[in-house]
Parts: sequence; C-alpha cells; structure tokens
Amino acid sequence: MSNFESLSKAVIAGNVGQAAEITKNALDLGARPMDILNLGLLPGMAVVGDRFKKGDMFVPEVLMAARVMQSCMEILKPMLVDEEVPSAGTVVIGTVKGDLHDIGKNLVAMMLESAGFRVVNLGVDVPPEKFASAIREHKPHILGMSALLTTTMLRMKDTIELLEEEGLRDKVKVIVGGAPVTRDFSEEIRADGYAPDAASAAELAKQIVGFSVSS
Amino acid sequence: MRSNYTANGSVHLRILSQDQCELLYSAATRILERTGVIYHDNEALDIMKKAGCWVDGKRVRIPSKLVDRALLTAPRRVTLHDSRTGLPVMDLEGNNAYFGTGSDTPFFINPYTGQREKSSKKSVGWACKVIDALPNIEFVMSLGIVQDVPQAIYDRHQFEAQVLNTSKPIVTTAVDVAGFSDIIEMCECIAGGEEELRRHPFMTLYAEPISPLQHATEAATKLLLAAHKGLPVVYTPCIMAGGTVPSTLAGAMATGLAESLSGLVLNQQAREGSPFIMGGVFTVMDMSSTIFSYGAPEFNLMMSALADMAHFFKLPMFGTAGCTDSKIMDGQAAMEAAISIVLSAFSGANLIHDVGYIEYGSTASLELLVISDEIIGMARRMARGIEVNDETLALDVIDEVGPGGHFLSHDHTFKWFKKETFFPELFDRRRYDAWKESGGTNLTKRANTKVKEILEGHEPAPLPANVRQRISEIVARAEGSLGI
Repeated sequence: MSNFESLSKAVIAGNVGQAAEITKNALDLGARPMDILNLGLLPGMAVVGDRFKKGDMFVPEVLMAARVMQSCMEILKPMLVDEEVPSAGTVVIGTVKGDLHDIGKNLVAMMLESAGFRVVNLGVDVPPEKFASAIREHKPHILGMSALLTTTMLRMKDTIELLEEEGLRDKVKVIVGGAPVTRDFSEEIRADGYAPDAASAAELAKQIVGFSVSS
Repeated sequence: MRSNYTANGSVHLRILSQDQCELLYSAATRILERTGVIYHDNEALDIMKKAGCWVDGKRVRIPSKLVDRALLTAPRRVTLHDSRTGLPVMDLEGNNAYFGTGSDTPFFINPYTGQREKSSKKSVGWACKVIDALPNIEFVMSLGIVQDVPQAIYDRHQFEAQVLNTSKPIVTTAVDVAGFSDIIEMCECIAGGEEELRRHPFMTLYAEPISPLQHATEAATKLLLAAHKGLPVVYTPCIMAGGTVPSTLAGAMATGLAESLSGLVLNQQAREGSPFIMGGVFTVMDMSSTIFSYGAPEFNLMMSALADMAHFFKLPMFGTAGCTDSKIMDGQAAMEAAISIVLSAFSGANLIHDVGYIEYGSTASLELLVISDEIIGMARRMARGIEVNDETLALDVIDEVGPGGHFLSHDHTFKWFKKETFFPELFDRRRYDAWKESGGTNLTKRANTKVKEILEGHEPAPLPANVRQRISEIVARAEGSLGI
C-alpha cells in the first residue's frame, strides 16, 4: 500500500498531523497495525537514523521524527497485543550527584527513546543510592550516567562501587558519558561502555541489548 | 506599535565616509584634468578629442564634467544570466555580493598529484566543473591560462573549456580584439543571436589599464568593442601602492579611480548607456619581495573602500577576495582568503573575483576554491546579521520551557534552527573520537577529497550538440587563421 511510503515520508519530515491522519486513514481502510508500524513508521525512522549519521539531518529533526513516531504509536498501541509493542529495552539514566547539567543527558534520553527504548530519567544531582533503588524498581537493561564536571565524574565510580556492594552490578550494564569522560576513564571505573555523543550512546545501547538478548 | 524605528537588515562595513568619498572623487577628477592619462589607440584619441578633452599627442586631459556625465549615463545595474537557461542569476548593483574565481594563472596545483603544473585546457575544464558544482561560487573566470594550444589564439580554447563545463556566467579575458570577437560569436550562438546576447548577457568582457594612468591599445579597443556590441565590460586597474601609485593609500586610490573613470568616459563616449563594471585590484607592492600582494591588510582596506566608492558612484563593482600570497594551501592561505571574503561580503562589492588564487595570483588551487566556498557561506551568514522581532525574540517559548528545561525538541527550534544556523561541511566540528576514526584528516585533505568527488561525480548541464559543434568550428577557424 503506497500510504506506507507517505507515512515514512511524514515521519522523516517531522509532520505530526499528517502522519497521524495517514495512520488513522490506514486503520479505517483495514490495514493491520503491525504493517503500519513495520512498513510505514519504522522504515521512516531508519532513514532518519541514516541521514543523521551522514550529517544530512540534525538533532531537532531527529527529535521531531521521534515525536511523530510516538504519537502514531499512541494511536496503534491499543490495537497491538502486548508482545507486538516493540521495546528495545529499559534504560535508567541520570546526571550524577553534585552536577546540575542535563542537556546532554536529556539528549541521550531522547535518542534512546527514538531508538525504541523505555527511558526512566532520574534527572540531575542523583546520588548512588537513588540509582541503586531505581535499578531494583525498574530492572533496566542499562544504567546510563552523565557528568559535565571533572569533579563530579568521580561520583560515577562511587555509584558503580555501591552497585557492587549491593549485588546489583551484574544485573545491569553501565554506560557513561559527558564532556570530560573518556574511554580510558570508563574502563578505569569498570563501566561496560562509553559513548562520546548522544547518537553513539543510542547505538551503544542497541549493541548492548543485542548482546544480552543473544547471550 | 513601534514607531520611528531603524533595523539593520545586514552587517554594515564602511571604510570611507560620504565626505571622504567626495574627496577621493574630486582628487581623481583633478588628476584627470591636470595630469591626464595616455590612450595608445587612435580611435580612442579621436573619440576623446570629439568629446571635448584636451588632447596633446597621446596624452589626454579630461574635463571633470565628462566624468560626471559618464557616471550618469552608465547603467546602475548589470544583470548576468545562466548560459543554458537564459534566466537572470546575478543583479550587479547596490550591495549584492557575488563570488567567482580569477583568470589566467600560469600554474595550477594538480589535485591528483599535489604538484604545481602549467595550466592547460584540461585544468581549466576541471576548475570550471568544480565551480559549477559549488553553491556559493556564482561566476567563472578561467583559473588558468590554456597553455597547451597555440598561444596566439589560446583565448578561444580557454572560453570553450569554460562554457562547456559550467552554465554560470563567465568573465572572460581575450588575447586581443579578434579573440574577443570570436568569443562574442560563440556567445551569440549559445544565446541565439546578437540581440538575445545583448538582452540576456551571460558573459562580460574583461580588460585592464596599465598603471599608472595608461590605456594600452588592447584595453582601449576592448572598451570600444564592448560599447559597440552593447555588452558589459569589467575594467580593472591593478595598482601597486609604492610602485605604480603613491604608497599612501589615499593617493593610490585616487590614481586607481582616475584610471577607472577615464576608461568609463571612453566607454560611455563610444556609446552612452553601455554597461560598465568598475574594477580594481588595489594593493601594495611588497617592498621586500616586490610581489603584488593578494593578502595584505592594505589590500583589504582599499578593496572595501573601493566598494564604498562604487556605491557612491552607483556603478556595479568588480571586487577581489578569496586569494592569498601563500604558495600552498595552508594556514596562511585559509586566513588570507577568509579575511578578504568576509570584508568583501560586509562591504558589498558586487562581482567579487579571484577566489582560489594562491601564490599572489600565479597559481590556482581547487582546494582553496572549495574551502573558500564554505568561507563564503559563513560570511553570508554573518552578513545577514541578527533579525530582531517578536517571533525571533521567542519570549513565549522561553516562558514555556522555563528554567532548567531545554529547547532541543521545541517546535520553535525545529522551525528556526536551519534558517538561523550555518552548517559547515569541510570545517570539522565532530567530536574527537569521530574525527579520529574517520582518518583524523586536516582541512586541506578534506578539501582535496571534495575536489576529486566533484571532478568524478559532477556533470555540468550540457550545451546542445549543434552549439558545441559551432563553438569548436570557431576555435578551429581561429587555428586555421594561424596557418595551422
């Protein structure tokens, strides 16, 4: 059905109204919700990811495409059975204690959401204990920590140590990022992964989930 | 309502005040009345005598009223067109700034070998193909002398190499009047006739006086031919402060203006209303190496001041930017190109040439050309200034997001960020890891890659086969006239 192609285009263009209308029309005409998702929405998001990587699309456009995708999913969700609702996994994310910077962390959260993850965003100034209790509560696949300051990035280490003490460390993969954070630092504090920017953080999360599912 | 309100629609740069423009104009006309200029061409001398000049042999003193008159009769605007579509693409007037390359360098840097080689028909074709693909380069000068053909008629080959490889307007040099006539004939074939070319010109002729204060036979006859044909002509004094003109910049400018204006008077006396583009490469002679500098701060100052004079005269102006004295594509080249491009964009010269010149105009670099294309994009963004109104102040949006929020996914950001922001292609803003992983390249290397991608991937719009055929016949006819 050629409407799937125009739905993909509406996702790429970030046109919420048009995408919602096409989705509703397609349902009215008897299209299967899974087909709308797999043949319309997801191929559109795949193009967006591709173009962003090549530098042909920019952050606000990716976020707008993700918003289009989400609003169409709101329409489709009631009609999909549970196992059909796609989720790449759950990520708990936060800026570490003592640090109030959050634009980068929020960007990572949005990129993860647009890649299909459920994100629990703990906000800023998050102490190790709060990360630990969130892991117990949400049972995420991944914990993401962010810091902008060289002084606060050491709190990542504190958090990892607390997780080890409380026996939570092997229940979750820990990824870290932020301007002063390096790959060397992430290895030093025994994190599982590091990403230099928001887009590669989403890539990294997908890789990690892929590994944990297959292993 | 906001009343009696002034807004800057763009960034402004002025070197000379209105009074200083008056003073320079007065100085130039006093030079023409008192010292006069030499015309080496007899037809030119006749015309100037009939116009009321005081002619003493070849020395001609011009009453200032003739200059005043020429400034009134020359058109304020020259419009150049796309050679394939015939549609207007450049309105040379006011502060409209367009960028293009320079002409006739003896050497070019071969993008495949990195070696400095003699320029050739192939290298000129390459240059024009790159120009055709670049979004911020709007017109063409050859970026090389075609040296692998008989030199008495190289200009026909050079024009052919240009017009086959780009549809952008061409500023063309020629060996002599016969060369110009052949080139004009090629253009008439492309445009579809003499009148069509005059109504929708996609080329302008180019000529230079010889500083100080001389119009050689070739230059004078080119000015006359352009007038007879009703085609635009760029007339460009290339003055060297301290060498061919005084070392004081005001005296240098007055002399250069006297050369331009005496060319203008001849052109307008031959045919009033003939389109004339006032040029100039005003710079210093470097007193150590004796080169004609393309990167000196005095060059930048005088070129911006010349734009002030062109606006004062209400004449279209031929400017100079995107060039360097450096022998290779390096930090000096990028810096000198950037300064002249930004100042030219801010001062509003119209037809700004010499983008891609290195080695004080002796060598063409396609790497500098593609880097300058991006610098021009940045300069244009800066020249556009800051739009201040309710929509761009976005107070509702700021209130909606509030302290601690973010604007990344707001509709206002989605709507505006692309209009407000310049996106570089060659200037690297990637994070360290991404840059390192993709080869850790420097600017010159990335520019070289882009040049090769264009050469191997870009196809300029073709000319119809019968037109191509006619052009090659005109080239062959010129060769035949040499007895080859």
